[in-house]
Amino acid sequence: MIRLENLTKHFEVPGKEPVIAANNISMEVGKGEICIFLGPSGCGKTTALKMINKLIPKTSGKIYLAGKDTDELDPITLRREIGYVIQQIGLFPNMTIEGNICVVPDLLKMDRKKSREKARVLMEMVNLDPDIFLKRYPRELSGGQQQRIGVIRALAADPPVMLMDEPFGAIDPINREVIQDEFLKMNAELGKTVLFVSHDIDEAVKMGDKIAIFREGVLEQCDTPDEILANPANHFVKNFVGADRALKRLKLIKVTAAIMPFRMVVKADDPLNHVAAKMRERDAHIAVVVGPRGRARGYITKAEARDDASGLVGDYLDPIPGTIHEDDNLHDAVSQMYTHASDWLPVVDDDGAYKGYITQHTVASLLGEVPRKKGETIS
Amino acid sequence: MNDVIELIRRGKTLLFYILLALVFSLGVFAQSNGLIAEFRDGYEDWIYLLRQNVIIVFSSGITASLLGIASGILMTRTWFKRYAEVFSQGFNILSAVPTLAILAIIMTLTGIGFKSAFIGLVTVTILPVLRNTYQGIREVPDHMIEAARGQGMTERQVLWKVQFPNAMYVISAGIRTGFALNVGTSPLITLIAADSLGEYIFTGIQLNEFNSLLIGSVSVAALAIVTDFVLSKLQYWLLPKGVNPQRFAHD
Repeated sequence: MIRLENLTKHFEVPGKEPVIAANNISMEVGKGEICIFLGPSGCGKTTALKMINKLIPKTSGKIYLAGKDTDELDPITLRREIGYVIQQIGLFPNMTIEGNICVVPDLLKMDRKKSREKARVLMEMVNLDPDIFLKRYPRELSGGQQQRIGVIRALAADPPVMLMDEPFGAIDPINREVIQDEFLKMNAELGKTVLFVSHDIDEAVKMGDKIAIFREGVLEQCDTPDEILANPANHFVKNFVGADRALKRLKLIKVTAAIMPFRMVVKADDPLNHVAAKMRERDAHIAVVVGPRGRARGYITKAEARDDASGLVGDYLDPIPGTIHEDDNLHDAVSQMYTHASDWLPVVDDDGAYKGYITQHTVASLLGEVPRKKGETIS
Repeated sequence: MNDVIELIRRGKTLLFYILLALVFSLGVFAQSNGLIAEFRDGYEDWIYLLRQNVIIVFSSGITASLLGIASGILMTRTWFKRYAEVFSQGFNILSAVPTLAILAIIMTLTGIGFKSAFIGLVTVTILPVLRNTYQGIREVPDHMIEAARGQGMTERQVLWKVQFPNAMYVISAGIRTGFALNVGTSPLITLIAADSLGEYIFTGIQLNEFNSLLIGSVSVAALAIVTDFVLSKLQYWLLPKGVNPQRFAHD
């Protein structure tokens, strides 16, 4: 969707060597991908972004948008086809929220009625009530609300590409989490190609399908978050992503990737000696007891299920140490394990039905094998 | 607490009575001085001079506002930027020249009468309008302009959809200042033979006629107050709600 070829920018400084803000950057971002430009301040990530919509003229190199060379497009037409969100939000105080959202559709002389309707739909997507907010002015909204409007203003004319320059940087941490989640959810639906500048590695790991790490105008590494965390290309990237990069990877991996297929499922009214034989046969340390609708009710250990014991499983039931949803990430799972001081957790699906379990050991060995693609499971 | 409120309430009533007494005694004073009689006799002159004064104030004020806004906008354009400082310095020097001197200079160029007076008042009024337009547009934050360009506005659209509307309040403040200066200067144009309420004042000074002086100055003061009141109401109702600080509190 977007391809940069040898993109270079020299800023002339009178009487000094020119500053090289971008040095031969080449990369490609596929359709529907979110690519994060990450790096310390002054690394050229914002310059690289602004060259794409020609807010900063490039020195040399090529930028292709959907296969078209952007040199052949005039800046005004180009910018109207690209959504643009900035950190300072930049809503226009003289216009109502409705006017602000419909700026680009109005510039493009789109049908007013349709664009107003679209504004309502977009507002509902970010959980702002259009009846309350459409006729208000930006100053009457909180910072978080304003940036939501900033984001949907960029989406109003339905551009295939969005450029976002540290869009959530000025929002308080709690609101930022919420707005990030909203954006991810919204983009899962809209499928825009997004270039997103950030200096926050956690945000990058959370938001990005791809991360491009910059240093002093040079693109150091461009890859999936998991790959960057697991295999940093050099010392700089390694330092930048931080010493806890293994822990950050936990957020990227779903519980399903580490799930152990269950070996033993027993019912509460099974006789204990029966179960003991089965457990020995399958070499299982614990057996999870499920109820009639497949929910995990508790478990019994190998020590409890002895051959000479009489009675039913239900008499020896140990309560389960909490459950984890199969779509949650390993970060949440490990956190739960520590909370319950347990080294394993049963995994459940939407209906609460037992799907299998994960252990600290499986999580650790999953992170140890580098790198793993999403969706792969340990067998 | 209630006592305090009660005291203030009584104070207000008291103030009202004092004002009433003051107006009454002023009336008695005016009557005994023959001021009212004189005013009644010269009523038609007064109406004529007032009308002339209002006409020249508003025509020159509106012309100056339009010219001031136009040249203020011009000064913010990129291609004009290198001259902008020179221009604003020039205007600053011009505003330091006494109004009377300006009138005198213009009189030497275009003679006496309405035309010269008009040009003089325009010169006086244009300065604050121009300065505020220039400042107001320049003070629109950079990030807002970047957002506007990033959305794909042409330079002209950035000016008319973003910069100008957001500078409007500052510009309107400049216009109010300009009009205040204009009304304040308007009596002086009598000196270059243009009709205004200044005629009462200068006649009063020259003939040592206290009543004439009083009629002139009170009328000019009233005109100044009314003009500013009208402009403030226009400012309140005409400026869009989003950029009008006067209306923020009412929402």
